[in-house]
Amino acid sequence: MPIVEMQRVRKVYDTKIAVADLSFTIEPGTMFGLLGPNGSGKTSSIRMMIGMTVPDSGTVSLFGQPFSREQLTRVGYLPEERGLYKKMKVMDQLIFLGELHGLDATTASKRAHVWCEKMEITEAIPKKTEELSKGMQQKIQFIAALLHEPDLVIMDEPFSGLDPVNAALLMDTLVDLRKQGKTILFSTHRMDQVEKICDAIALISRGHLVLSGGMREVKSRYPRNRIQVTFEGDDSFLKHPSIESAKNYGGQAEIKLHGLNGASPDAQPLLAAAIQRGTRITRFEVMEPTLEEIFIETVGENVDA
Amino acid sequence: MLNIWLIAKREYLERVRAKSFLLMTVLIPVLMGGLVYGAALVNGRSGSNLHIAVVTEDRQFGLDLKSELESATHIDSDGDSGKQGVTKVDVISPPASDTRATLDSQLQDRRLDGYIWVTPPATPHTRPTFEWVSKSKADILTPALLGSGIRTTLTREGLGSLGMPLPEIDSLLQPVDLVSKDKNAAFASVYALFFLMYFVILFYGMNVARSIIEEKTSRVFEVLLATIRPEELMAGKVLGVGAVGLTQIGIWIVAGLTVAKLGLLAAGVSFSITPVQVGFFILFFLLGYVLYSSVAAALGAMTSSEQELQQMNMFLMLPLIACSLVILRVVRDSDGLIAKAFSFFPFCTPLIMYVRIAVRQPPAWQIALSITGLVLTILAVLWFASRIYRVGILMYGKKPNLPEILRWLKYS
Repeated sequence: MPIVEMQRVRKVYDTKIAVADLSFTIEPGTMFGLLGPNGSGKTSSIRMMIGMTVPDSGTVSLFGQPFSREQLTRVGYLPEERGLYKKMKVMDQLIFLGELHGLDATTASKRAHVWCEKMEITEAIPKKTEELSKGMQQKIQFIAALLHEPDLVIMDEPFSGLDPVNAALLMDTLVDLRKQGKTILFSTHRMDQVEKICDAIALISRGHLVLSGGMREVKSRYPRNRIQVTFEGDDSFLKHPSIESAKNYGGQAEIKLHGLNGASPDAQPLLAAAIQRGTRITRFEVMEPTLEEIFIETVGENVDA
Repeated sequence: MLNIWLIAKREYLERVRAKSFLLMTVLIPVLMGGLVYGAALVNGRSGSNLHIAVVTEDRQFGLDLKSELESATHIDSDGDSGKQGVTKVDVISPPASDTRATLDSQLQDRRLDGYIWVTPPATPHTRPTFEWVSKSKADILTPALLGSGIRTTLTREGLGSLGMPLPEIDSLLQPVDLVSKDKNAAFASVYALFFLMYFVILFYGMNVARSIIEEKTSRVFEVLLATIRPEELMAGKVLGVGAVGLTQIGIWIVAGLTVAKLGLLAAGVSFSITPVQVGFFILFFLLGYVLYSSVAAALGAMTSSEQELQQMNMFLMLPLIACSLVILRVVRDSDGLIAKAFSFFPFCTPLIMYVRIAVRQPPAWQIALSITGLVLTILAVLWFASRIYRVGILMYGKKPNLPEILRWLKYS
């Protein structure tokens, strides 16, 4: 039973197509990345997922049921634009948001204290929100989304505007949550950030789904045609016929292969050739394609087609 | 329902705890009380401690006028006894050649407030001419007082010369006391409550709009809308802010009654409010507030900054200003065409119907009809506003034009 199921969801604002027949599913206990450049329809999709807007056509199901507002108590949501009451004290704010999610004030307060400790912002508790730094406010917002221990956590651009230390802290927290069996969806335009932690992804561009699936599966669909090599001595192996292009930095090179005679690219002949020529290889790594490369390649293909 | 309650509670507590609430609650009655009390004080002084001179060839007339004027001050313009000034009249008879110069210099020195110069008639059996010279050109109350004093004195002399006995003359010339005190006080309380309602409806209606814009600019509602419906959010806001308004009015009324007991009564202003009036006041205040704050909520959802709201708030102001323009007429002629028309126009009903009821209770069916119209309008505005709200609140930047707003109504 998928936790989230979007079926041919479509949303048009006036003449602009925000989301075009988008379909994907999120399985329980996965860390799901919704990826795409700015303005590709990530936020519009998320808003329809939590019923903030209604799709023009298509259906959204949560927890195996067609969407209903009652399900929202099991969802934690971090909006793209952080929103907190500026004049309100941090604890009052967290309790208020917790109560809106069905917690009683005592439980909300207890959990908020635990979370603030975890997020290393206990000193912020007695302050007003407007007195806090942006990063701290973001952590408060993050806590607010998790206070009611939701089964599905939806975060719109959770890492934007955070320094690396805090981004790592948030990422670790998300990984912990997944270990507890929660399902996590987050969107980002920084594809490099999520390579390590996502189990599955959906890539969208201009409202259209470009590709989706498990991270391994997606990557295996794309050839491992990039090589990083560190070497000493003769560099004539860089003229090998299986090389499409190579950047030689002297002792280090980045190589892109292409398949010979219609076969998929293979790095072995190149390595053999280098050794044959007596070049001393200290590192020879066949790189996985990055999500960014996959995105550029796929979107480029689509544009051509 | 729970969500509405939570939203309303937060809105209420945050507002009541704010320093500005305390400041407003204290300052406004102090200012208003100060104004009313000050005005009463100034009014009270107008007839007081008048020192004038009467210059006449006819000594008996001068003495009669003196006793008339000096006793007439017991009945002053506002009909209240106690804080009365004393009129002191010097009779100069007959005048010497330098009398006018002496009096003029006394006027300059402010030892005298004015003098009456009586010139004997050129032909017998006609009235003498009276000239009033005073230091204050703008004083209109004193000449009126003197005029009636002179007329009474002349009448008394005339009746006496016809042979009427003195006691009969006295009883004939007894000043007529129009009993209008209660009515004046009732009008005062109607005005006071009218402007209280006007002010609070406008102020707290705008507060609803402002609070929506605040949530819009701080994007808080994105978090809120992830759990609750826009309608609940709007209802909670309207109720919460309204409760703040009621709290404030409550404080003011209690404070006002206390102040009235202490100071205003003594200054000649009294508030008399009947229980029926209080009931209708609360009813019309609540209905009016819900109507205007729903409109304000829609305005707030349509705009994205305070400045834009300023441009739109004339929609809120116009009907209220219209009410304040016609209220004088409504008080004077509470069953007239204008009073009826405005009391049945839903946006004016809360204020004008309340005034009509307070002045003279109109037929029950008229009250019922106006309330029905008001409630139906509120429902329509609520429907309209919540539609605008749920779409408009997610829109930023661009100000919507009318066709766009109409299209919003169709979005679900």
